[in-house]
Amino acid sequence: MSALLDIEDLRVTFGGTAAVRGISLTVEKGETHCLVGESGCGKSVTSLAVMGLLAKGGKREAARLSFAGEDIREYNEKQMSRLRGDRMAMIFQEPMTSLNPAYTVGSQMTEVLRRHRGTPRAQAVDRAVELLTRVGITAPGLRLGQFPHQLSGGLRQRVMIAMALMCDPELLIADEPTTALDVTVQAQILRLLAELQKDLGLGILLITHDLGIVARVADRVSVMYAGKVVESAPTAELFRAPRHPYTRGLLSCVPVPGKVKRDEPLGSIPGVVPRIPPGFIGCAFRDRCGFAEAACAADIPRRNVGPAHEALCILPEGARA
Amino acid sequence: MSVPAIEVRGLRREFRASQGLFAAPRRVIAVDDVNFSVPAGSVLGVVGESGCGKTTLARMILGLMEPSAGEVLVDGKRLEGMDRRARARLIQPVFQDPFSSLNPRRRVRDIIAMPLVAQGDVTTSEVDRRVAESLERVGLSTEQGTRFPSQLSGGQRQRVAIARALVLRPRIVVCDEPTSALDVSVQAQILNLLAELRRDLGLTYLFISHNLAVVEHVASEVAVMYLGRIVEKRESEALFRDPRHPYTRALLDSVLTPEPGLGVPDVGLGDIMPDPANIPSGCRFHPRCPACFAPCAATTPRLTTLEDGLVECHLAG
Ligand SMILES: Nc1ncnc2c1ncn2[C@@H]1O[C@H](COP(=O)(O)OP(=O)(O)OP(=O)(O)O)[C@@H](O)[C@H]1O
Ligand SMILES: Nc1ncnc2c1ncn2[C@@H]1O[C@H](COP(=O)(O)OP(=O)(O)OP(=O)(O)O)[C@@H](O)[C@H]1O
Ligand code: SF4
Ligand code: SF4
Ligand SMILES: [Mg+2]
Ligand SMILES: [Mg+2]
Repeated sequence: MSALLDIEDLRVTFGGTAAVRGISLTVEKGETHCLVGESGCGKSVTSLAVMGLLAKGGKREAARLSFAGEDIREYNEKQMSRLRGDRMAMIFQEPMTSLNPAYTVGSQMTEVLRRHRGTPRAQAVDRAVELLTRVGITAPGLRLGQFPHQLSGGLRQRVMIAMALMCDPELLIADEPTTALDVTVQAQILRLLAELQKDLGLGILLITHDLGIVARVADRVSVMYAGKVVESAPTAELFRAPRHPYTRGLLSCVPVPGKVKRDEPLGSIPGVVPRIPPGFIGCAFRDRCGFAEAACAADIPRRNVGPAHEALCILPEGARA
Repeated sequence: MSVPAIEVRGLRREFRASQGLFAAPRRVIAVDDVNFSVPAGSVLGVVGESGCGKTTLARMILGLMEPSAGEVLVDGKRLEGMDRRARARLIQPVFQDPFSSLNPRRRVRDIIAMPLVAQGDVTTSEVDRRVAESLERVGLSTEQGTRFPSQLSGGQRQRVAIARALVLRPRIVVCDEPTSALDVSVQAQILNLLAELRRDLGLTYLFISHNLAVVEHVASEVAVMYLGRIVEKRESEALFRDPRHPYTRALLDSVLTPEPGLGVPDVGLGDIMPDPANIPSGCRFHPRCPACFAPCAATTPRLTTLEDGLVECHLAG
């Protein structure tokens, strides 16, 4: 059976610059696939490209881009907008992008159902109340009558999540859904997503830069660096046996509660993410990598390095950071 | 005993926010009778949820905001009435957002020189020398000193903010979420830099963060804030090993450590969000507290002294 979302060799350019440089990943029904990586590596652009929502000037190319077995590469705007908010939903990094400040929460939530399903207003309101309750909002009736700016950041984020779920989507793309929230609220929302996934078989592409979240909720992880997926593996495997030097560096940077030693420096990755000029070939991590050699300046093939575990690096097995 | 680097006594701050023409203004008690002292050379971490009053506390300690009541002593001297330039030589801030805290129209070296120039009596050659020294301390090159903030990465910008804080050679630095806007790899670089500076220059930090793992890494003592009050303050190691206040426990349990397979915990706080304009009776945490019992809703718990700190909860009394 084919995956719910199947992306192969996705490329996105803005004018001369390549934001996404050929990434492949799949999301199965009921699976959470996490996409991690540093600011600017192309996580949001990847998700926007899938949703057909790239900003003006963005150009998308892919060897495959299919949703529930259907090739959506040639879908026109009308076909895409029929999918969006219905069978595939998105929670945006910036909550105000998907909430319209001029309309109440209630009218925005019910509009989704009315547009896609023609649901009568009263029923749509019932559904909205049900979902707001589900995401842990007390007094949902009151919230329906409020405007987005009258809500706290945490409430707004929950409203977005409820809105994304109005039509029982099959795929949810969530771009940093809990970054702006307190840890206690974050835990609550991640639990909710896991529950919904179990009940509805939702496939989730979760974008985050928080490795704690990844460890706790992902089934599979893809690590991005400078527009490419440099490593991809089942979660336990990735944390147990990271192969790419960038992944290893990233894991060593995170202070682990209960295991940190004061006065001992954290691991860190020297240098900064480079700018990738057009026509760049080879490993983009090479000017920061302690293992770089001449071969790293040539094309690096994707290799199997373990069970369902792929890395984009020339290092042979057994090499240790 | 030596003089504490920072001492606050009965510190309180209220805000009145207008809610429109006809509604009564919303009265928020952002910081409510806070007392503590920070020994010279140590790091006090301050943690707590959004809106609990961390930044308000920091701004009062920096002298950037007047307390509604209470006082702040820095290096044994009362902040109230202190000359601005003298204050700047004692205590300096590093804020969260390296994008908005730097003037985009000035070159890095001029940004760093600003506090020194504001002192008034420093020669140009002295300014140049001290700016060069600051740049080097934070790991920026002379060439990077000639750039504008927009030509630097986020981590480099935070280095500029730190260099600016150090140029007057202060004793105390107040860091308000200094790495929250940065990627983990850049965060690690900045935390290592701050640790190195503390060791080399004998600095004292007040270090605010909502990231508990980061606080555990840098702080010698930790204060946990809830709705404007410090509900627990302990030696760092003791607090993380054996938290005594139920809120501290919930915070620690919510931290998602990078350990696969453990899932997301249910910390049992429910979904009643705290509202600083409407502080509950008795123990202010009682509507959310999983351990709430008979006296909690009616009686305010007293501060209990433990061998390694303080906690404000009926269970500890
Ligand atoms: N509309 C646009 N026009 C030009 N370049 C863009 C546009 N949107 C994104 N980019 C570029 O594409 C690259 C990837 O950006 P993207 O927003 O996907 O990063 P990200 O991984 O989501 O980062 P963050 O963690 O900061 O959200 C960046 O270099 C960015 O500057
Ligand atoms: N200038 C102000 N006018 C009115 N209310 C204010 C003002 N500054 C802060 N507050 C209120 O005081 C309370 C404490 O705010 P503060 O910024 O100190 O919290 P914080 O702990 O720093 O939160 P965060 O983690 O989100 O930065 C909040 O309820 C806030 O809305
Ligand atoms: S390909 Fe070469 S430069 Fe890139 S990560 Fe592997 S060893 Fe390092
Ligand atoms: S005093 Fe009572 S309500 Fe407050 S933290 Fe302690 S047990 Fe919980
Ligand atoms: Mg993004
Ligand atoms: Mg703050």
